[in-house]
Amino acid sequence: MRWLAGAGADERLRVWAIAERAGARCGGDGHAMAAIRTEGLGKRYGETLALDGLDLTVEEGEVYGYLGPNGAGKTTTIRLLLGLHRPSAGRAELFGLDAWEDPVRAHARVAYVPGEPALWPSLTGAETLEFLARVRGGVDVRYRDELVERFELDMRKRVRALSKGNRQKVQLVAALSTRADLLLLDEPTSGLDPLMEMAFRECVREAKERGQTVFLSSHILSEVEAVCDRVGILRRGRLVDQGTLAELRHLSRQTVDVTFAGPAPRLPPLPNVAVEPAGRNALRFSVSGSIAPLLAALAGQPVATLSSRQPSLEEIFLHHYDGSGDGGDGGEG
Amino acid sequence: MGTAERADAGRTLRAIARQRLRDGRVSTLAFASVFGLYAAVQPVGYRHAYPTAAERLGFARSFAGNVGLRLFYGEPHDVATVTGYAAWRVGGTLAVAAAAYGLFAAVRAQRAEEDAGRAELLLAGPVGRRTLALAAVLAVGAGALTLWLAELAGLGLGGVPLGGAAYLALATASVVPVCAGVGALAGQLAPTRRLALELGGALVGALFLLRAVADTTAGLGWLRWATPLGWAEELRPFAGPRPLVLLLPASATFLLALAARMLAARRDVGAGILPVRDTADPHLLLLSSPWLQAFRTTRGTLLAWVASAAVFGYVLGAVSTSISPADVSKATQAEIARLGAGSITTPAGYLGFVFLFFVLAVAFFACAQVGAARQEEAGQLETLLALPVARGRWLAGRLALAAAAAAVLSLATGLATWAGAATAGADVALPRLLEAGANALPAAYLFLGLAALAYAVAPGAGAPVGYGLVAVTFLWQLVGALLGAPRWLVQATPFAHVALVPAQPFRPAAAALMLALGAAAALAALAAFRARDLAGG
Repeated sequence: MRWLAGAGADERLRVWAIAERAGARCGGDGHAMAAIRTEGLGKRYGETLALDGLDLTVEEGEVYGYLGPNGAGKTTTIRLLLGLHRPSAGRAELFGLDAWEDPVRAHARVAYVPGEPALWPSLTGAETLEFLARVRGGVDVRYRDELVERFELDMRKRVRALSKGNRQKVQLVAALSTRADLLLLDEPTSGLDPLMEMAFRECVREAKERGQTVFLSSHILSEVEAVCDRVGILRRGRLVDQGTLAELRHLSRQTVDVTFAGPAPRLPPLPNVAVEPAGRNALRFSVSGSIAPLLAALAGQPVATLSSRQPSLEEIFLHHYDGSGDGGDGGEG
Repeated sequence: MGTAERADAGRTLRAIARQRLRDGRVSTLAFASVFGLYAAVQPVGYRHAYPTAAERLGFARSFAGNVGLRLFYGEPHDVATVTGYAAWRVGGTLAVAAAAYGLFAAVRAQRAEEDAGRAELLLAGPVGRRTLALAAVLAVGAGALTLWLAELAGLGLGGVPLGGAAYLALATASVVPVCAGVGALAGQLAPTRRLALELGGALVGALFLLRAVADTTAGLGWLRWATPLGWAEELRPFAGPRPLVLLLPASATFLLALAARMLAARRDVGAGILPVRDTADPHLLLLSSPWLQAFRTTRGTLLAWVASAAVFGYVLGAVSTSISPADVSKATQAEIARLGAGSITTPAGYLGFVFLFFVLAVAFFACAQVGAARQEEAGQLETLLALPVARGRWLAGRLALAAAAAAVLSLATGLATWAGAATAGADVALPRLLEAGANALPAAYLFLGLAALAYAVAPGAGAPVGYGLVAVTFLWQLVGALLGAPRWLVQATPFAHVALVPAQPFRPAAAALMLALGAAAALAALAAFRARDLAGG
C-alpha cells in the first residue's frame, strides 16, 4: 500500500547521506571503524553520577544488548552517544566521529527510537513519517510501507489520539525504514503487545541480516536473549559484565541436579562447588567453571539421574544484582 | 459520610489546592508585584506631575476627555484628585491585567495537570472530579486575594486612604473570578490547554472590546453593563461608590461556574466538549524542515495573534480622531509630554502613543515564541536532534520564525490601524502606519535575543526572563519620569528609545543599536545552546 505520494522526495539529502556513508567507510586510513566506541565515558548530573567510566565497543553488524534496571544509566549512555548530553568524562564515537563534536555527520548514519515516544501531537502518523523522512533523507519508502502494514499502524490518526504503544510503533517504523547503519533503540518495546514484540524481533533479525548494527537497550531479558549477539550488563552507571551469551554463561555458575538410588551421600567439599539438598535422595550443585571435579567426585556414587542446565540470562542478570554486597537495587523484568 | 471520612476529604482537598497554588506561584507573584508597583507609583507620579489644583483641573478637562485614553483606562469620573486619578488609571489598567490573570489561573488549575496526564493519577485514587474542581476554585480564589492585597498595599504606599483603596482593589479583583469562570468554561469546551487559553483569550478580548466601545462611543455607555471590566468601573471607587454592583460579578461567577460544572460532568478527562478530529488525510505541505514544521504546528496561534492585533489596531485607528487640539491647553500638553507620551492631541500623536503599547505586545509575542521553543525541547526535540539536524540550525530556525511572525504581526497591525483611521477620516498615511508597526520590531528583536539567551543558558528561564524584562522596563518607562528619576536611568530601557511613530520620526540609530544587541544576544544564545545538555520534559 502506498499511502504517500511525495514520499522520499528529498533526493539531495539522500544522496548526500549515501555519499557520507561511503566516505566514512573507506575514508582515511582504511581501517574498519567500530560502530560505537566509548572510552572512559562518564556523566554526572549535579550530585548524581549517572555513568562511570564506560568502555564499550560495538563492531559493525553486531546486535548488542544493553541490560540494566531503571536508573542504571542506559538512557544516559544513549543520550551521550547521540551528543544530546555532554560527557563529563571520556568520549564517545560513532563510526569514528565524535558524538559531541560532530553529531550531524554521525547522525546521518544513525536512527534512534527514544524510550518515551516524542512526536508532534497534531501530525498524523503519515505526516510524522513523511516529516522525519524529509528531514533525515535516505528512507526506503517501500520497506516503510511494508513496516506500516506489519505493525498494523493507522496512518490517518493524529499522534495525540494514539496510545503509547502505537506512538512507539510510529517511531520504530521511522527508524527501521531509514536502513541506517546503526539503530539506537532505547527500550523500544516497553509499550508493545506480545504480537508486536514478535514483529519487532523479526525486524531486528532482518536488520542484522542486512548488516545493520543494533544497540538495544532493554530490561526485558527474553528479548535480549532472543536477538542479541553480545550483552553488556549495566549496574549503577558501571558496566559490570559483558560478552556473548556463551561467554557470560561460561563465567557464570551452572546448575547440576543429581538424584541417587539411595539416600544422598556426603561428598567431600570441592572448590567452586556449592551444594544444597533438593528433596529426598537428591542434591543440587551450583558450579562455577568446569564441572569435571564434580563428576570425578560423583564417579563412585549410586547416581540415578544427572542433569545439568546452563544459566538463563535472567539468572546471570540477577546474579549481578543480588548478593554483590550492596544489593538493594535488585533487577526487575 | 463519617467525621473521619470528612476530615480525610478535607485534607485531600487542601493538599491538592496547595499543589495547584504552588504550580502557579511564579505567575501569581509576578502579577502581584506588577499590581503593587503600578498601584503605588501612579498616585505618587500624579502628585509629582500635577502639584497644584489648577493644573489638575486642566488635566481633568483635557487629558481625561480623550476618547483614546478612555479606551485604555475606562471612563474617568474625577481625575482632578489624586484618588480619582488612581481609580481611573490604576483601576482601569489593572482590571485588564486581572482579567488575564483570572483566565490563565483558571485554565492552568484545571487543565495543566490533565494535559500532562497527572490528573488521572489523582482521579484513580480516592479523589473525585468535584474535589479537583473545588481545588481549582480555591487556588484561583487565593490568587485573587493575593492580587487584592498587592493592589491595596501599593495604593496604601502611594498615599491613598486605606478604606477607599480597599474598595478600589476590590473592584479590580472582582474581575478575576468572572474571567476565571470564563476560563473554566473554555477549559471544559476546548480539547487542550492551549486551545482553552486561546478560546478564553478571545472571549476576554471581546469583553475588553465591549468596555472600550462603551467608554468611547456616545450612546453606547449601557454596554458597560455587559462586561465585568465595565462592572469594575460602575463600582465607582472614589466617585460615589455603588457596592451593590458587586452582585453582578458574584452572580456571573456563580452562573459560569455552574455551567462549567454541568459541562464537566459530561466530558472525558483530558478531552473537551468540542469535538476534535483525530484522523485526517495527510497534508504534506510545510514538512520539509524543522522550522517549517514548527510554523505548521503553531500557525493557528500565530493567526490568532495577528487577528486580534488587527482588530485592536482597527478600533484604535477608528477612535484616533476623537480629540482636537482646541480642547487642550498648552500647559497641559507640556504636562502630557512630561508623561512621555508626546502630543496626543492629533490622530498621529495619539497613534504614536498607543503604538508604544503595541511595542509591548510584540515584545511579549517574541518571548512567547521562545516559550514555544522550550516546549518543543521538552517534547520532541530529542527526536529531531537525533536526525542529522544541527542544534544551532534548529534554534536559529525557531528564532527566524519568531522574527518573521513578529514582522507580519507588525505590518498587519499597521495596515489595520490605517484602515480604522481611514474609516474615521483621520489624516494619516498608510506608509507612516506601516512604519509605526515596523518600528516595534527592533525592540521586540532585542527582547527576543535576550529571552533566547536566557533559554539557551537555562531552558526553563527563557520565556519568564523575557516577560520579566519586558514588563519591568515598560513599567519603568511609564513611571520612571513621573517619579523624577535621573535622566540616564529613565533612558536605560529600550522603550525610552522607541520613537513614537507616526508622531515622531523613526530613530534609525537607536533601532540599529537595538538590532545589533539583539543579534549579539541571539548569536550568544546559539553558542550557549550548543554547549549544554538537552533538557527533558
